[in-house]
Amino acid sequence: MLQALVDGLLLGGVYGVIATGLSLVFGVLGVVNFAHAEFLMLGMYVAWFAWRYLGLDPLIGSVLSFIVVFAVGYGVQRTLIQRVLKAPPAAQVFLTVGLLIVIENAALMVFGSDFRSVSVPYQVEGYRLGDIFIGAPYLYAFIAAVILAAALWLFLDRSWMGRAIRAVAQDPMAATLVGVDTGRTYGLAFGLGVALTAFGGAVILPYITVSPTIGGQFVVLMFTVVVLGGLGSVAGALAGGIMVGIVQSMSTLIFPIQLQNLCLFVIFIAVLALRPQGLIKGA
Amino acid sequence: MRQLFSPGRVVLLLFFVAAAVLPLVVDPRGHLLRVAAMVLLFAAMAQSWNIVGGLANQISLGHAAFFGLGAYTSTLLFLKLGVSPWIGMFAGAVVAGVAAALLSIPTFRLKGHYFALATLAFAEVMRVIANSWAGLTGGPVGLSIPFMGTQPAYFAFRAVSSYYWAILGLLVFVCIVFQLLARGAIGYRLRAVRENENAAEVAGVDTFRVKLTASIISAGLTAMCGTVFAQFTFFFDPDSIFSLAGISVRMAMIAIVGGLGTLGGPIIGALFLIPLEEVANAYLSSKAAGLSQLVFGLILIAAILIQPRGIMAFWPKKRRAARAARSSVAPAQAAAKGA
Repeated sequence: MLQALVDGLLLGGVYGVIATGLSLVFGVLGVVNFAHAEFLMLGMYVAWFAWRYLGLDPLIGSVLSFIVVFAVGYGVQRTLIQRVLKAPPAAQVFLTVGLLIVIENAALMVFGSDFRSVSVPYQVEGYRLGDIFIGAPYLYAFIAAVILAAALWLFLDRSWMGRAIRAVAQDPMAATLVGVDTGRTYGLAFGLGVALTAFGGAVILPYITVSPTIGGQFVVLMFTVVVLGGLGSVAGALAGGIMVGIVQSMSTLIFPIQLQNLCLFVIFIAVLALRPQGLIKGA
Repeated sequence: MRQLFSPGRVVLLLFFVAAAVLPLVVDPRGHLLRVAAMVLLFAAMAQSWNIVGGLANQISLGHAAFFGLGAYTSTLLFLKLGVSPWIGMFAGAVVAGVAAALLSIPTFRLKGHYFALATLAFAEVMRVIANSWAGLTGGPVGLSIPFMGTQPAYFAFRAVSSYYWAILGLLVFVCIVFQLLARGAIGYRLRAVRENENAAEVAGVDTFRVKLTASIISAGLTAMCGTVFAQFTFFFDPDSIFSLAGISVRMAMIAIVGGLGTLGGPIIGALFLIPLEEVANAYLSSKAAGLSQLVFGLILIAAILIQPRGIMAFWPKKRRAARAARSSVAPAQAAAKGA
């Protein structure tokens, strides 16, 4: 029981960072990015190649993932997403769904369909705390996620760019009036959003194998986390991530493993129905 | 019914006549007829989706759930109880209708992105259940319909052309239902809900009931398509029949590329997209896995960016303005409406 709680917490912290990116994109641009999980996949591949050809540990390679996917995201926003920002939801939904299909299949063509994993020295190691066993890769991924979350908070709270992003999220017109380039800020926010998710993907590489279809496994999970925390709320997404992580690992105590996701879906629909603004409000 | 012979209807009628005689002209065992049958089936599916997506502008990304329910209901009734798929088709429609009603209770207040997300999750729930409840559904292996030669009472034929005509009949039926809904009182109410739900509510439209009726009919028709699909292909499995990209998105995409909320849109969309995909599959899949799907995604993106109102927007017609006003994907119209 306590073991499941700890496992859930460690998983959930990473889910939080992964979903924060999605929430940031919605909060600033007002677009639900259905292709978001594909950027997680891209981040995992960047980290895998960094490990394979540069010998970098995925925890360090994750920085590279962050940078590369940030650049890709900025480009995608400026060329595609920007054009539908004022379009009705239908156009936005299908543009990002189209993007999902394109990225997934481009990856299939470039990387092939095989599953790739890394081997790191601490893969099977762990720490014992009384009766509780903590797997080293899970712990390190959690720590990396916490560091990134703190850095994100500092960036949004302290830096000029971060304030500009928050200003545009609140009122694009007023932000323009005080000299913020909204177009560029949207690009930065989108790039940052997908980069956060890519980072989250990279740090879980030591315990999850990557393939072009990995995104599909994270789509509903990500949206559940974000909806739990309230779409657009960064702090909510972090809390939502931890909740989902705990629910997921607790549910394995009761249900067989294949019904684990079912549990998530039911929570997802229930939350959408009862409290679409999220369980936690604010931020 | 003022304009019984408006240009649009004449074209549509000519299309149906041409479609009906096609099997007599082409090789009845050939690949071409199978592709043509898929065009008609996807047109029928997109038209069913169009009732909710086009008339009420509720963007569903989960219609694969109803499609799969239709396929599973009729096939299981046949395999376990020997019930004819003709009856199973209507049983499937009822099951899907009930599912749609149940889904409406938690989701009817949701709009835009939220509705899309909830329906997407619903289809995923169905996929997970079908995969894990192996005792009933056969699990991930899927279900096969035994080959029985030609037995019309059991929706089983030797010739592709028989299935083809059955699918054509279904398409005509779905189009009639769509037109009746669009032209009838419920169509006006749906459009009112689409343009401004609060205003419609104030004006006395029972918005919940209108949306509920539309989604039940849409789900039922989609389930009938599911049964026909199962009979036609003899085999299906949970991952393909509840597929997000393969079924849910494709249904919506055909309607959008053709023209959202229009009668001809889904037919034009299917005529354009399904053969294109078929060609892409034939020529590209040997070159690299995923290339044809990549093209599919690029077309979707291009369609949204170039002409979000679909191919039907190019239809030269005096009443185009009226038609355009009813289509709500284009932002300019929404703005003009508000002004």
